[in-house]
Amino acid sequence: MPILPDGTIEVEHVWKKFRADRTAPKFYDQMKRFGRSIGSPGRHDYRWVLKDVNLEVPPGGTLALIGINGSGKTTMLKIISQVTYQSAGRCSVQGRIGALLGVTSGIQPELTGRENVFLYGAVLGMGRQTIRERFEEIVEFAGLTDAIDRQVKFYSMGMQMRLGFSIAAFLEPDILLVDEVLSVGDANFQQKCLNRIGEVVRLGTTLLYVSHDLASVEASCERAVWLADAVVQAVGPTKEVVSKYRSAVEQNAALATSSEGAVQVLKVEINASDGGQVRSESDLDICLRLQAPEAYDANFFIGVSQGTAFPMFIVRHSGSFPAGEFEVRCRLRHVPLSRGRYSLWPAMSGHARGKGKPLLPWRPVTSFDVMGPDLPKLPEGVMVLSPVYVGADWRVD
Amino acid sequence: MTTADSAGVSALVVTDLASIPDEPPPDIIYRHKVRLIESLRVLWAHREIVYTLAERDFRAQYKQATLGILWAILSPVATLVVFVVVFSRVKSFGSEGVPFALYAFVGILCWSFFATSLGSGGNSLLTNKALLAKTQFPRECFPLETMLVGGLNTVLSWVPLAILFVIFGRAPAWTTVWIPLFMVIEVVFAAGITLAISSIIIQMRDLVQVLPLIISLGLFATPVIWPFSKIPTSLHLAFGQHVHRAVVDGHVVAGHWVGGITVNPQMIYGFLNPLGPVIDNARRTMLLGLSPDWKLVATGAVGALLYLILGYRIFKRFEVNFADIA
Repeated sequence: MPILPDGTIEVEHVWKKFRADRTAPKFYDQMKRFGRSIGSPGRHDYRWVLKDVNLEVPPGGTLALIGINGSGKTTMLKIISQVTYQSAGRCSVQGRIGALLGVTSGIQPELTGRENVFLYGAVLGMGRQTIRERFEEIVEFAGLTDAIDRQVKFYSMGMQMRLGFSIAAFLEPDILLVDEVLSVGDANFQQKCLNRIGEVVRLGTTLLYVSHDLASVEASCERAVWLADAVVQAVGPTKEVVSKYRSAVEQNAALATSSEGAVQVLKVEINASDGGQVRSESDLDICLRLQAPEAYDANFFIGVSQGTAFPMFIVRHSGSFPAGEFEVRCRLRHVPLSRGRYSLWPAMSGHARGKGKPLLPWRPVTSFDVMGPDLPKLPEGVMVLSPVYVGADWRVD
Repeated sequence: MTTADSAGVSALVVTDLASIPDEPPPDIIYRHKVRLIESLRVLWAHREIVYTLAERDFRAQYKQATLGILWAILSPVATLVVFVVVFSRVKSFGSEGVPFALYAFVGILCWSFFATSLGSGGNSLLTNKALLAKTQFPRECFPLETMLVGGLNTVLSWVPLAILFVIFGRAPAWTTVWIPLFMVIEVVFAAGITLAISSIIIQMRDLVQVLPLIISLGLFATPVIWPFSKIPTSLHLAFGQHVHRAVVDGHVVAGHWVGGITVNPQMIYGFLNPLGPVIDNARRTMLLGLSPDWKLVATGAVGALLYLILGYRIFKRFEVNFADIA
């Protein structure tokens, strides 16, 4: 086997099975299970959580794992960090690993922050001397200068996460694994963490990043892997994988909410107001044909999203709607959308809040393409919450 | 699937789901290799973690107690007081001419290290679940770390032993210098058992309840409050069927068995439970001023080493599952 340079991750045909969940905790059932396991060794109940996964990250590369809960992302990270072992296949990882699997993974509540820095540092493979040298830096980054000699059980969740992240990020490992831990921190610290991750990557660290926050995924990773149902669905440049993942999430959302609510959407039309292609900053005409069993006084919403259930913006109209078939027309002026595909989400609800089902539940009914400029490349490590296009005139004197 | 090109970015590849089989081909099933020498090397590289974890436990033990670290000395002294009061009245076992409290306390010291190693070390994988499931370093760090804490507490318990020597107006004999050797044998034995038990307990949680019982029974099966010399040095085991009774020169020669062997139960015991030789020799040297019984010490040492190798193998064999079931 050739010696790979530090920071390389190679995962070939990795499979992982878990024991079937114990659904029957009764003593009798346990005994039966025990008897069966003795009777036919090796034939336990199990389910696959990873099937035939292949990954390859060169030193200094950045890879994101995305997918819904339970799709195997964390298990993959655990196998790579050798916390757990694969059931089949080969996984070779070269170099020192700094793994942040969970917010408070290495943090001991009974100890003070200072003692935790040394403990967690040692757990992550740092020598005492190294920790002592970096101690001030770590504490300052975590913003815990005042609290460092307090027992960690008196820390807030965010403070614990800050401590954990700071230690892992200042260890300067060959490989940094980050599993959905940043979400606990406030926006300010999240940005600080992303900056630090960018910095570490620039220094040559390999990054493996798991997050549901697709904006931060796009900001920090070149490539992405989409896991679903224990299988790698797609792998490639982050933007393309993310958009595939988004459209899959959309489809599921549409399936989950279809045929609910009293009002039905019959037809949707989206056009540029001048009749041509929809372009950035042009006006957009939306025409929805709907059917209602009775007349309503209601709020009507239209949202536009780039895939996930979180809209980039919403417009609202409050008024009366007739029974039977009717049309809702809406002109969106100067839509600030960059080039790409977007989803349209209509919704309708009665004025009395929180009473009964919405008349028309919030779900995407159609998607449309926008022509125009791409968004500018962001500064490293920066993410935008709503990636909208805003025309700008510049002058540099 | 894809391989990254030189730029590190390649085109989007969508997996053909039909190409994935239901089960992995048998030739790529992962087999966990157990290599003890290699494991020891890795463990040595991670020794810092053992120290740090032990420091954590030692600190956490006394963190919020008002008397703090003083308890490390106070609690063995308290145990000692109980011992002097209770056991000085129990003299049925004999103590080879040494004050019984002193005699028993040496045994207790040796035993308590073993008992705490096994008690807390056996559960160490469970108590460190959070770390076990989230971080990567040799798993044997957990049982070994608890043993280190137990060792530290035991060292502090030698303080009351010194007090006892003063109370009884005695001094340890010069042969006490051999004590560290016996302690090494005990540590090796305790490590073997603790590693094995901890790796089994995490898979069979029922043992959590049974373990304390086993430990308290072990106290009586080990020469802690009774002298090792109660075990005979010679025993004849017969597995022959023909019992000859012959008259030789007018005497009846009985018990001349065919196919039997004579064994030394002390040696067998010492092999199976190295604590026997350890405690016996600790007393011989420190209290009686005799030189160690080398044959017995060697037997205990070989036994302890075998326990360690076996225990470590069991531990490494099972470690594949730890993170999944913790």
